[in-house]
Amino acid sequence: MVSSFCWGCLTRLRPTPRAVLPPPVAAPRAAAFHTSTVRYALPTKKKNSLDGPPKYRQAKSARMKKKKPVERARPPPVGERKALRKRIVLSNPNALEVEGMQDFTSENMVDARLRGSVLGLPVPMLTQLRAVEAFKPKQGWSIFRRPGTVVRRETLELGRLIDSISNEGQDKGKSVKKIVTGVRGSGKTVHLLQAMAMAFTKQWVVFTVPEPQDLVIAHTGYAPLSDETPNLYVQNEATATLLSRTVAANEQVLKSLHVSREHPALKSSVKAGTTLEELAKLGIQDPAIAWVVFQALWTELTATSPASGFDKNFKPRPPMLVTVDGLSHWMKNSEYRSAEFEPIHAHDLVFVRHFLELLKPGTGKPTLPNGGLLLYSTSASNNPTIYSFEVALKQIAARQAGLNASAPEFPQADPYSGADKRVIDAFDSSKPTVAKEGILELQTLGGLTRDEARGFMEYFARSGLLREKISDEWVGEKWSLAGGGVIGELEKLGRRLRVTD
Amino acid sequence: MPPRLNLFNARTAVPVFRQPSVKVSRPSIATINSARSTRHGLKTGLTSSTRMQQRWSSSTSGGDNSERPKAPAEDSLPHVSEEAAEISKIMDKKCDGTPASPELEQGTPISEILQRDKEAQKHMPKVMQDQIKSSTGTRSFSTFTRRSQAELHGQGKSFDEQTAAVMASMISQVNQQAEELHDGIKFDPVETLPKTENFRTRYDSLLEQFTKLLMTDGKLSRAQKDMAFILDHLRTASPPQPNPKRPLLPGPPAPQLPLNPVLYLTLIVDSVAPLIKIRQQKGIAGGGASVQIPVPLALRQRRRTAIKWIIDASDKRRDSKFAQRVANELVSVAEGRSGVWDRREQQHKLGIAGRSNLAGARR
Repeated sequence: MVSSFCWGCLTRLRPTPRAVLPPPVAAPRAAAFHTSTVRYALPTKKKNSLDGPPKYRQAKSARMKKKKPVERARPPPVGERKALRKRIVLSNPNALEVEGMQDFTSENMVDARLRGSVLGLPVPMLTQLRAVEAFKPKQGWSIFRRPGTVVRRETLELGRLIDSISNEGQDKGKSVKKIVTGVRGSGKTVHLLQAMAMAFTKQWVVFTVPEPQDLVIAHTGYAPLSDETPNLYVQNEATATLLSRTVAANEQVLKSLHVSREHPALKSSVKAGTTLEELAKLGIQDPAIAWVVFQALWTELTATSPASGFDKNFKPRPPMLVTVDGLSHWMKNSEYRSAEFEPIHAHDLVFVRHFLELLKPGTGKPTLPNGGLLLYSTSASNNPTIYSFEVALKQIAARQAGLNASAPEFPQADPYSGADKRVIDAFDSSKPTVAKEGILELQTLGGLTRDEARGFMEYFARSGLLREKISDEWVGEKWSLAGGGVIGELEKLGRRLRVTD
Repeated sequence: MPPRLNLFNARTAVPVFRQPSVKVSRPSIATINSARSTRHGLKTGLTSSTRMQQRWSSSTSGGDNSERPKAPAEDSLPHVSEEAAEISKIMDKKCDGTPASPELEQGTPISEILQRDKEAQKHMPKVMQDQIKSSTGTRSFSTFTRRSQAELHGQGKSFDEQTAAVMASMISQVNQQAEELHDGIKFDPVETLPKTENFRTRYDSLLEQFTKLLMTDGKLSRAQKDMAFILDHLRTASPPQPNPKRPLLPGPPAPQLPLNPVLYLTLIVDSVAPLIKIRQQKGIAGGGASVQIPVPLALRQRRRTAIKWIIDASDKRRDSKFAQRVANELVSVAEGRSGVWDRREQQHKLGIAGRSNLAGARR
């Protein structure tokens, strides 16, 4: 339909006069019925020109506010952080007590029925083990109620060995030399710890070098040994520490033993009635004579019979356990320098040389005449790669297998690789001529068996740390995940926190 | 009423241009239509359809199309005389059988007249009366393809049912055989793996969130070390002495918490997680003033806020190690000593006060 307005009409419309329209609203007005006050924007304040006219020569961009660092009252004192890092916690009171857990005793360390179970370390022995630094900070002792170790096949063999050396029998007084290797986390250090625990139960004397690296990184003092041998260097502080470790751990044994001969280097301070503990303490009190004292102590402990005039209270010496953990640091140049600023080879340090010479077969009498065990282990986590050492280990394995050094299959160092002759010679031990001395052996630690792994995981579960149903299937799965039962990996899996949601 | 333009006579041949829709406002086309369709007037009128398809190309179209679903492209053009009738209905309301102006001008099909005129129906020719009587609207057969298809479909259904029954019997037979074979299956069917078995989601969700909030400078590995330290601390520290005024969320009793450090951590974080955040919004009250509006948070957001608070609060501690500070703060939260609780209460108070502003925000 056509609109009533025609086009013409529309054009003829005039705009309404302005006066008729309501005046435009200047400010928001509240409705007439409102009683609340109207909100106005605050009138813009005139800027106080306190800071003067605008600054043109300064950055005008927005500045990010930086958080002020909190004032901590004191910087941590020297050594606190390291102490925190090296702190060893052996107990977690929150963990559950494992019922029926046995302790290491001289009886059950050879008991094959206990294979796969976890044996606790006896509480009185913990101070001794701490003294010889058997525990390492990252080993996860801190999550269990009390420290304990798994009895695996190698542990049982070790137990039998230590038992046979100390007990009456054909193997009594035998000296055994072993180098322990294995992949990372395979339990080399704990194997040494088990050896120490067994040695302590059998009243042996234990010497340990827990950190061979500390001897070669130029963190302790060194000096030429004497004028006659300018190429040999002695580390007195390190030797004093070794002595204090030994005394703290073997106090009872050393107190019962007396000096059996004269020690001209120590002059009048050592008399006939002096105990070995007092002798060792001389070196701790005066580090300048620490090396001489150590040599004297070693002579006393390896003595088989007293010298004339000293046989009044001579007692046969106990067997010895010597452990070194992390051998390859000793197989290269140390960080020390000679007077000519030449690097000093680690084998020129008398401390190192002494422990490495123990690997050689003794002439005339065994290196450990009263019997004992040398357990030197490699490390896989903090480990310099040394080609000649690898070759030397291969040669030990070949020799152990019965290969002759002249045989063509005998592993030899690549002549062009610049292998260190001294390293290879250090392990080049021919067949021992003396009875009761074993050949240098290479022992490789692998993974646990499934049964042992199951015992280990049950220990986690019974301590309340693992919330799983331990079945053969589950253990088999973890055993495979752990690279065939590598115990370090199993431990990670055991403490791994899984919450199903 | 717009004047009708009679451009062509009914007899003249018309070049047909198809238009998609014909409306009353376009009278010229409507007239053309009427001119063309008068020939079939009787036929269309006899069918009961009120609206008939216009077929421009074929004049012999027939059959009952009203039941058929319409294709989208098909255009519904009302019959021209219907249109005219509608118009006349609108224009002059008197419709008593007397022909109105368009009928007078161009004529109307007789069927339409008969339809609306009851009086005339009585007197219509016998042929037409018979036709009306005999037409029931259905046939015993179909002339339409779609309907026949539908019928076919209906038949197919019954056929399908038969085959389905056969198939079902075959499947059940095979299943029976498989059940008999069950003894030979070595393992139980695999259960669904828990979420944390996938290496991408191997950590608990809260644990991952916390770890990533501990991270600075993108050093995730270091943050993970810190997290491990925190969990070990929760595991070895003495169990919390719960504060009855500020209890943790319900969970295992306090002495058991250290045995499950992840749960312990989750309880701590969830207990202090705020339910809301406060948003400052301008422009609601007017005048540039901002009002505080409570906004609900999702679970992950709540946790994030709580973790942020805990880390902030731990900055004021004096332990030299960051992880140690956070761990101590967590324990103090569990024991109800931490300032994080106050912060949460403050937040909730603000939220309650700002509830009235919510109405304004919705407007």
